[in-house]
Amino acid sequence: MMLHQRQIIHSLINTVTCRQCNPVLNSRHNLTSGPRLQSTALFPHKILDNGVGDESAVPLPKEAKVVVCGGGVMGAAVAYHLAELGWGPQTVLIDQGRCGGGTTWHLSGLVGVFKPSLPQVNLAKSSVQLYKDMDARGLKTGWKQCGSLCIARTRDRMTVFRRMKALAVSWNIDCDLVTPGEAQKLCPLIAIDDIQGGLWIPGDGVGDPYQICLSLIAAARKGGMQVIENCAVQQILNHNGKVVAVGTNRGTVECQYFVNCGGFWARKIGKMSEPYVKVPLHACEHYYLHTKPIPGLDPMTPVVRDLDGYIYFRENEGCLLAGGFEPVAKPAFEDGTIPESSAERILPEDWDHFHILLEQMLHRVPSLGDAVLERLCNGPEAFSPDCKWIVGEAPEIQNYYVAAGMKTIGISAAGGVGRATAELIVNGSSSYDMYELDISRFLGLHNNRKFLRDRVREVPGLHYAIIYPFHEFQTGRNLRMSPIYPKLREAGAVFGQVMGYERPTWFDPDYASGNDSDTKNGLHPYRIAYTNTYGKPPWFEFVRNEYSACREQVGLSDYSSFTKIDFWSKGTEVVDSLQYLCSNDVNIPVGGIIHTGMQNRNGGYENDCSLARIAENHYMMIAPTIQQTRCKAWIQRHLPTDGSVSLSDVTSMYTAICVMGPFSRVFLSELTDTDLSPKSFPFFTFKELDVGLANGIRAMNITHTGELGYVLYIPNEFALHVYTQLIEVGQKYGIQHAGYYAMRALRVERFFAFWGQDLDTTTTPLECGRSWRVKFDKNMDFIGRNALMKQRDEGVKRMYVQLILQDHDHEIDLWPWGGEPIYRNGKYVGATTTTGYGFTFKKQVCLGFVQNFDDKGTTQVVTPEFVTTGSYEVDVAGMRFPAKVNLHSPNLPTQYPDKERLAYRATRDIIDDIVGKRSILPSCPGSSDTQTRT
Amino acid sequence: MAIGCRAQQLVANKCFGKCTVRSAEYHKRARPICVLNKNVIQQKEQRIYEQYHQNYRTLYTSKNLAGTPRLSPQEVTSFLRANEHTQEFTTTGSVKSYDSNQLSSNNPIEDTRTEAQCLLTNGLLLGVFDGHGGASCAQVIAKRLFHYITVCLLPPDILHKYLNALENNETMELLNVYNDKVELVDELKILYEASFKIFVKELSQIKGNQRDFHMKEAMEKAFLRLDDDISNEALCKNDGKVNMKTLSIAMSGAVACVAHIDGPHLHVASIGDCQCVLGMLSDVSTWTAKKLTTEHNTDNHEEVERILREHPNNERDTIIKMERLLGQLAPLRALGDVKYKWSKSTLSNAVLPYYGETVIPPNYYTPPYLTACPDVTYHRLTPRDKFLVIASDGLWDLVSPLQVVRLVGEHMSGKVTLNPFRLPRKGMHISDINKMLLQRKEGLKMKPTDRNAATHLMRNALGGTEYGIDHVKLSHLLSIPQELVRVFRDDITITVVYFDSEYLRHCPP
Repeated sequence: MMLHQRQIIHSLINTVTCRQCNPVLNSRHNLTSGPRLQSTALFPHKILDNGVGDESAVPLPKEAKVVVCGGGVMGAAVAYHLAELGWGPQTVLIDQGRCGGGTTWHLSGLVGVFKPSLPQVNLAKSSVQLYKDMDARGLKTGWKQCGSLCIARTRDRMTVFRRMKALAVSWNIDCDLVTPGEAQKLCPLIAIDDIQGGLWIPGDGVGDPYQICLSLIAAARKGGMQVIENCAVQQILNHNGKVVAVGTNRGTVECQYFVNCGGFWARKIGKMSEPYVKVPLHACEHYYLHTKPIPGLDPMTPVVRDLDGYIYFRENEGCLLAGGFEPVAKPAFEDGTIPESSAERILPEDWDHFHILLEQMLHRVPSLGDAVLERLCNGPEAFSPDCKWIVGEAPEIQNYYVAAGMKTIGISAAGGVGRATAELIVNGSSSYDMYELDISRFLGLHNNRKFLRDRVREVPGLHYAIIYPFHEFQTGRNLRMSPIYPKLREAGAVFGQVMGYERPTWFDPDYASGNDSDTKNGLHPYRIAYTNTYGKPPWFEFVRNEYSACREQVGLSDYSSFTKIDFWSKGTEVVDSLQYLCSNDVNIPVGGIIHTGMQNRNGGYENDCSLARIAENHYMMIAPTIQQTRCKAWIQRHLPTDGSVSLSDVTSMYTAICVMGPFSRVFLSELTDTDLSPKSFPFFTFKELDVGLANGIRAMNITHTGELGYVLYIPNEFALHVYTQLIEVGQKYGIQHAGYYAMRALRVERFFAFWGQDLDTTTTPLECGRSWRVKFDKNMDFIGRNALMKQRDEGVKRMYVQLILQDHDHEIDLWPWGGEPIYRNGKYVGATTTTGYGFTFKKQVCLGFVQNFDDKGTTQVVTPEFVTTGSYEVDVAGMRFPAKVNLHSPNLPTQYPDKERLAYRATRDIIDDIVGKRSILPSCPGSSDTQTRT
Repeated sequence: MAIGCRAQQLVANKCFGKCTVRSAEYHKRARPICVLNKNVIQQKEQRIYEQYHQNYRTLYTSKNLAGTPRLSPQEVTSFLRANEHTQEFTTTGSVKSYDSNQLSSNNPIEDTRTEAQCLLTNGLLLGVFDGHGGASCAQVIAKRLFHYITVCLLPPDILHKYLNALENNETMELLNVYNDKVELVDELKILYEASFKIFVKELSQIKGNQRDFHMKEAMEKAFLRLDDDISNEALCKNDGKVNMKTLSIAMSGAVACVAHIDGPHLHVASIGDCQCVLGMLSDVSTWTAKKLTTEHNTDNHEEVERILREHPNNERDTIIKMERLLGQLAPLRALGDVKYKWSKSTLSNAVLPYYGETVIPPNYYTPPYLTACPDVTYHRLTPRDKFLVIASDGLWDLVSPLQVVRLVGEHMSGKVTLNPFRLPRKGMHISDINKMLLQRKEGLKMKPTDRNAATHLMRNALGGTEYGIDHVKLSHLLSIPQELVRVFRDDITITVVYFDSEYLRHCPP
């Protein structure tokens, strides 16, 4: 590698002088330092002497507590924060080449805090704070708070900005909506004749990834960290599922923690252990151009993002740097082999591909045409299949952390993600809620190379695309399908994808087979769900009909994607283990079902599930779809190490069909010999049924939405038979298919919380009206008990509420879609989580959390009185709608009332919890012999 | 060649189970005669063909003929590209590169092609040969004709040197043949080398003053001499036995079109109905086609007149019948085809015992009726001449010369987009880059599927409609079963030669 050699020589010769004056060459120096440098360099900042010096002289230590792999900005940030937390001397940072040699080189240096979700915003804000702090301490970061200006060409984009402006209150970001004229004042370079307006974020800025990387490393070295360069990791060894050592081409380091910050090598590094650690990433070509210096260019020119033109530009050392995220990206290294040296990694530029962006740049900045091109950079960048960062502990190996998939915005992420990762390592938990970014959100399929290659074509474009509610990917579809999928497709299903599973979102009768002429070669056309608006969605009427079938007749829904796990043991070890894992008392009679959370030490939800007791020593767990990898990893880590409790993921063995509605009992009775009357098969119980000609169907008398109904877990080979029988017999009951959106409408209206949407790892049962599901009264230890006991005594600081919007016209007003700020007596108190139209209330329903800030902005205890005494408003894209508040699951009027269900309220006030629990749940005969765990 | 009636007749006969003696004999004998040691072309095509042929048999019902395509776009492409060849020339000269390709209809294909660089003189030779009555004559000509032409072009001193080398069994190559995948059996090789040596000797004995060099005469001499040699070799008896190989070669025939390009000098020698067309770009960027050959068939009045003139008046009604020579042969000039050249008695003695009564054409009174003497045209290349297309009638039956020129012209501008864009210089203004990219975008719209212009022509000739390439049509034409395919398309051979305009611009007048 030419660059490398040259640079080593450079570092050998110039080390002294460089160190003396300033380890950082200014870029003018670079530009004049010879044509060779210019032709080989990728970023205006050449590789500098990073102070590491003669790397071969540093021997690899035999032992360390933490090995960080990857000397890019991410690895540097992790190492820095480890050093900050006092672990510097026990940390080793290893890079296969030189630090800062990976994609850090290619980063355009933008730091924007506005990210699609609060956890991401918090991480980005933390990064900005870090760079500011470093700057203040005299560390070189290249930080320049020039602000950023996003501009809108369409009305929908302005709606996005208005939503962002509203969100900014809860996310605590300073930003302003600007008119086209104001936008031009902020950045005179831009043409404004076709823009609707803009969003100005003064706190944003730019940093120099390479300088930040080196400064972080230098600071970490001061804290005692060792840096080993030109050292390639070859193997990550584990014993009993825990990291024990890292093998490199220069020997082995024994260690307790490993952090994979391998950038786009992270996936490859993931394969260097047994078992593999899945780090689903694929490189994409990413383009940006540098101009030669432009006279008179304001150095404080803001970063401009013309989102509808897919482009951004910024000022950089007197030049313009402009790049973008084209809608259809070009995967790099499609055969899966990623070259190790940076020279091979330089990709030939595809001007035809870049032209889409270039035209937009010239359109937005007409004067760019007169600028002279310095160079076009084509640097591969790693993208995850869902366009989110990949962080957290690997589900496969304990103490193996990953921080990768920074997808071109590494420095926005690095500070926060580095800190969170270091906190996880040192403290075992982090102040950031990162489940959304957690590496355990993936399945094996996500790591399939071809899947990644197909998927990443559309991933980079998401950065600047308008992400409408319920966004769906177009690639990598039809991957996981239940056996009844073809039938659902024929029934007009429009699909959404969750964990690779094709799940019907709604059914369009016009597209059902027989009504549709598009059928080709006997294959029913496949349709992907879309919303494409912030107002009344196109699926409204379909969902309304499905909803009413579920409430007034019989609805049939495919629940197959739900995570299904069997637990068993020889004796009752399984009961003990689950008692320790779960916050509710799981020692229920055989045949019973219980809802329970699995809390972490802080009392937050690691998992929220239903457990059916199949036998004394056998449970079946139903958990959210997205928890398939995550909850398994959590559970496995807390099961006895002696293997006395067995766990088996049976998700793919069963097809789950839910039949619900007032007639579902009568209807299902026709298909089975088992007595389904409440006396023999009560609410919250389980039975194994024969249905039609099939047997062995696990039927659970619960729904996830509060209707009378049964979820049938059918061995896959019987699924089609049972489905066909259900549909045939169901005709006379007016059976209708119902999709996921109808389910969602039902549960939002019923005020049922869902993990991953309302509940997260920082939410406790007490905060979401579920303290009645916590075994406080049993003298029994479980994870998080102390935290919950403490919270019970002290009171909660946020409370889960249901808000019914008044005066909202669902036909013309913009809809709430989650994340909207909630105001109590005109004061910001929290934000919504999930929202939906309540077809019974005929009103918009928002679920969310309410907090109680005092004058200083500190959170105070929230009491039910506090909640119920306020008058509420919800800000939907700048419009405040008054709202009625609920603390309890409401009773929805129905023509067919049902005693059992009327008494059941999923979400309740703390006060009536004990009463509620006694009235519903059968008492546990076996509870006396359960042991307390310490 | 000779698509129309004959083919249809053959097919009809076959279909009704009445195999004519002639066709049967031709096919039976044609194959073993010119045994090919390595014939990559056919093997390739055969493999692809067999693959689909089986499927086809099951699918082939009258109902299904116009149904969904049987070949996927990828299959069509691999079929079309099986015999592609592109040769680029790095040395300065008028020819930059050439693309060639062949698509068979007959099995084995009756078309052949050769391209070769003359080593002892300057010049590039490119030829397309379309056989009939079997492939053997065309195959032999493809191997031999260029040698005959080249020696006719040699100046006396080099000719002598060459002869010496021949006699002393030293190697002195006349030609560098590109993309040569066919080899003759040893027996024929030896025989041909002997004939050739005699020809070289005779050439060298021609007195100096008779050796005023004329390209036209050299070409004519080469064609005629080769034809004579083929004829004589067929009559030459080995141990009193007739050599069935050489006889069947002489009994089959071939038409030929050969271009010789030396700097700005382009000569085209042609017999029969292959055609050679020059693609010229006018100042206003429109394409024009210039035909450099005239077909020797009944559409050509002059040619018909020539033949009638050469024979007694009373034969006027019998020489050309049903637009064919003696009611049988479509091209009016050809190599081989001795049954229109030999005397009746020679035919009776040498051929009749093996081929039967039908071998002597009806109304065969004053042979020879057929000649192998080529028409030779000369064209001086100018910077406007961009390319030359030589192709067998399989192509010209489907598209006109102007269409061909337009297709290749379009392909030339579209083809550049197949290569990545490179900035022509450093320090460019971004607006200038944008202009270039916009222009390129226009080209990208025409981005062809095929890099090879010959393949591009085939694809368009077979699948072209007013709305672009019709995959169904293309797929059909490529998946017709062997016994029917000849009705729908003939063998196609195309060579597209690209000229270097810069070189031609600087050529001394």
